[in-house]
Amino acid sequence: MAFVTLQNVTYKYPLTKEPALREVNLQVKEGEFVAVIGPNGAGKSTLCYALAGFVPHFFKGEISGSIEVDGKKSDESTLDEWVLNVGLAFQNPFNQISGAKYTVFEEIAFGLENIGVPREEMKARVEEAMSLTGINDLADRSPYSLSGGQQQRVALTSILVMRPKLLVLDEPTSQMDPIGTREVFGVVRKMAEEGMTVVMAEHKVEWIAEFADRVIALKEGRILMEGRPNEVLTSDLLPENGFGISRYTSVAREAKKRGLWKKDFLPVTLDEAAEGFKSR
Amino acid sequence: MHERLSFHVKRDSFLHRLNPLTKLVMILALILVTFTFPWYWTPHLLVLVAVLPLSLLGKVFREFSFAALRLILPAAGFLFLMQAFFQPVGSDVVFKFYFLDITSESLTFAFKNAMRVFAMVSAFTLFLLTTHPSELMSDLTRRGLPGQFAYVIISTLQILPQMQAKAQTIIAAQRSRGLDTESTFFKRAGSLVPLVGPLVFGSLVEVEERAIAIEARGFTSKHAKTSLHEIPDSSFDKALRWILLALIIVSIASNLWLS
Repeated sequence: MAFVTLQNVTYKYPLTKEPALREVNLQVKEGEFVAVIGPNGAGKSTLCYALAGFVPHFFKGEISGSIEVDGKKSDESTLDEWVLNVGLAFQNPFNQISGAKYTVFEEIAFGLENIGVPREEMKARVEEAMSLTGINDLADRSPYSLSGGQQQRVALTSILVMRPKLLVLDEPTSQMDPIGTREVFGVVRKMAEEGMTVVMAEHKVEWIAEFADRVIALKEGRILMEGRPNEVLTSDLLPENGFGISRYTSVAREAKKRGLWKKDFLPVTLDEAAEGFKSR
Repeated sequence: MHERLSFHVKRDSFLHRLNPLTKLVMILALILVTFTFPWYWTPHLLVLVAVLPLSLLGKVFREFSFAALRLILPAAGFLFLMQAFFQPVGSDVVFKFYFLDITSESLTFAFKNAMRVFAMVSAFTLFLLTTHPSELMSDLTRRGLPGQFAYVIISTLQILPQMQAKAQTIIAAQRSRGLDTESTFFKRAGSLVPLVGPLVFGSLVEVEERAIAIEARGFTSKHAKTSLHEIPDSSFDKALRWILLALIIVSIASNLWLS
């Protein structure tokens, strides 16, 4: 029994002609880390919003098919109940700061205050979440005085602290440096290993290859292909359809044409490429 | 980085430790007594025996006198002059300036009113100096103020400086593309359009995203909310509130009976 099930989901935003999602079928197991890739406008964000309940509860519009998480159907639930199970962090960190709080610590506690967590438990959970994402030293800063990357970590922490069963992330590392990105992927991987189910829309294919369990490639609202990271990320279909791919894959593909790459798979990460070129 | 919009000075004092509602009632009592108690020297006396000692008790005397001298006194002084000149009462002319007379009656009247305004604004300043806005709002929310209302107040205080900063960025961006912001009045007025557009539409998009973000964090949850900070509300606070309330009633009643 899958933890997340999308059946034939087609969705159109209000006042638009073309659907943003078309006949999407998707199953995610509990504790699985699924990455969603696709060119801009492919429907990654819409898929995230659909999982998090904002499509259609918040955006309205026309939806058909069914979205089920943890045995509950999205259209039979209300948004305020749905968000207790499904957490969402998205791209622009600045707009995810509540604006109601004066320090990072208070900002992270905001969600727990809203759902009525007792004070002592709240403090313990905020501390724990902050050490998980490594932002303890920011606790007393104003959330507005932080850099974009730091704000993104605060946004992620603010959702992690609520302990959702399904974590939906829409490009959570877009403003981070490589070190920050790696740490966030590490945290997400760890959460998945502890049983949290994760769906993450992301462009950074090298990190996806290293950390995700499965990759879904979206194009024009449809699932183009899905499978194990290396299988999907090295497929010829991706460059043909305008997806960004790893430079190591491109190099190895060229090398293969000239007979310099002898392996029967293509690399995504630097390590794989180095290994492959070394042992020819 | 732009400052947040708040006067609050973080100190540890008697006044800071009082419950926000107690302070609010205290300020309300000060203002109402100033305006309703039917004795001429009430506002003057209250400033001396209540507002000034309170500013010392709250350890914000320096900040308070700064605000009082720089902002409140000029405003009250202006009010005094206006009322002294234009209040058409009394016949005992003290000073004449073309067609404007100042009588001793209009002087006393103006002095009283200026003092009333001074007392009111300075009491409120004291409140703002010693009360953190989010503390006030979480206390009021706990007492039944709708959470949405509190959110609007607090987030406005924080987001306005951010919008200001954004407006500066847009101005800089448009100027670097040749927008005229320094010549004649009409040209400058015209150049407001390309500034306001991005600011307003950008803010609307932001509002939608922010709504999603706080909704994702259970903002509309039907659970009873809790609060991270414990807000003190001692039996002293409660007693003080009742005393102040009694004071307000006495003051209003004496106004009704004696006038």
